[in-house]
Amino acid sequence: MAAAAETTGWMAFVAVSLAVSGQPASAAGDRALGEYLSSECATCHQTSGRQAGGVPAIIGHPAEQFVALMESYKQRYRENEVMRTIAARLSEEEIAALAAYYGSLTPKP
Amino acid sequence: MDTTRRGLLLSGLALTGGVALGAPALLGQTKPRVVVIGGGAGGATAARYIAKDSNGAIAVTLVEENEVYQTCFHSNLYVGGFKSFDDISHRYDALAKNHGVTLARARATAIDREKKEVVLSTGARLPYDRLVVSPGIDLKYDSVPGWSKEAEEAMPHGWKPGRQTRLIREKLDAVPDGGLIVMIAPPNPYRCPPGPYERASMFAHALKKAGKTAARIVILDPKESFSKQGTFQAAWEQHYGTMIEWLGPKIHDGIKSVDPKTGTVVTGFETYRNAAFVNVIPAQMAGEIARSAGLAPAGGYCAIEAASMRSTVDPNIYVLGDACIAGDMPKSAFSANSQAKVAAMTIRGELAGARTFPARYTNTCWSLVETDDTIKVGGRYEAKDGKITAIDTFVSKPGETAELRKENQAENVGWYAGITADMFG
Repeated sequence: MAAAAETTGWMAFVAVSLAVSGQPASAAGDRALGEYLSSECATCHQTSGRQAGGVPAIIGHPAEQFVALMESYKQRYRENEVMRTIAARLSEEEIAALAAYYGSLTPKP
Repeated sequence: MDTTRRGLLLSGLALTGGVALGAPALLGQTKPRVVVIGGGAGGATAARYIAKDSNGAIAVTLVEENEVYQTCFHSNLYVGGFKSFDDISHRYDALAKNHGVTLARARATAIDREKKEVVLSTGARLPYDRLVVSPGIDLKYDSVPGWSKEAEEAMPHGWKPGRQTRLIREKLDAVPDGGLIVMIAPPNPYRCPPGPYERASMFAHALKKAGKTAARIVILDPKESFSKQGTFQAAWEQHYGTMIEWLGPKIHDGIKSVDPKTGTVVTGFETYRNAAFVNVIPAQMAGEIARSAGLAPAGGYCAIEAASMRSTVDPNIYVLGDACIAGDMPKSAFSANSQAKVAAMTIRGELAGARTFPARYTNTCWSLVETDDTIKVGGRYEAKDGKITAIDTFVSKPGETAELRKENQAENVGWYAGITADMFG
């Protein structure tokens, strides 16, 4: 049940984020701002794109999926207090910037 | 040092195309210089980010005495048998190889703020345009009566990584069934607020695993309360029954003295004799180099500007991590790593004209209580009201599901891989 609810919330956010911007966030995101903000992510998430332990990969997501994921933490649909606290303080512009930055990186083997 | 200077000169020559051949002094000025003291979570991160993000436009030298660094974070997991000593050991080679950081294997003995030079134990002097000071803590050896520098072998602290960490493990392994461990916890503010309580959990885990369930751990605390207290105590009861006993100052009425020869600890309330192992974690202060340079004029720790991590005493110096007064942020590796990025951005802005953004800080501290049972505390912080102020915080609660606690541990493992790559990669 929880999984189904989460999927519904997830899809809704993808739809909302596409409807609001009308285009994938990468087109609007400020990459330099994203690069600075990403230093906060890099404490846990590998810049190489690798997954480590319970910390998932942050590279390789399409921009609209990245935005939807962050929104789902910001709106507290998804569990995880660390990510909720991080996302709560990020504006729409900042999330788009992060999506632009991470979207520009290629995972290393 | 010679290689660095030659490198500087050569890059200067390349930039100026030989026109300034007759003016070597001027050439030395073509590339701004940053010196970083201390290769821990603050210093290594700052060195890496300044070098990496300036793409060689800033010459970065990291002053660190040790060739191999043992992290204090996750050293409790070594004590509890969850990690090997190798697992918590890291080298600096990649900082030089991948990002061009110059490694100075020496101890910084003085900071000449007038001349803007760092004096090394080798006698060399390193000039700087900006200096990052991240030396961690020093222990107050006189804060527990009867304890001293000489007594740290018999009654180890284990609050600085390396040999002391191994000593803690050796003493723990030698505790017999029915034996008594006394831990003296430190007063605020100190490195790693949940650390003593995670360590007590690891003591209990190792003893239980070895079948020594009649052993006891008494924590004598000078504080009225501690980080994640309710959650720790509920988990202790669940996993270890009555093995761990925590006593606040109202109960023990003060630590009067310790005797390292006999393993005796005297409090106002009770005398503990023949303890199998006494772990003294004393009061702490900023590392000596920061204090002797006058960066902590009020004693103890170093005041900084919340928006930049710049010292309030000297605008060319930044103080990071456990040595600084970071407002609501705890003294943790995560905090130091977060602060280093703000300082690195500010310094690149000053020396290389890079874009700067408002400072943001983050922290999370995970504590392993028993296999697959990890609790956490954390928050986000900003420069506000003249200090680094908590904006959002969270903390694990008693009675959470085993599934959530297991996820926390997976996160803890992932974080360690992430932060060590972010420091040394």
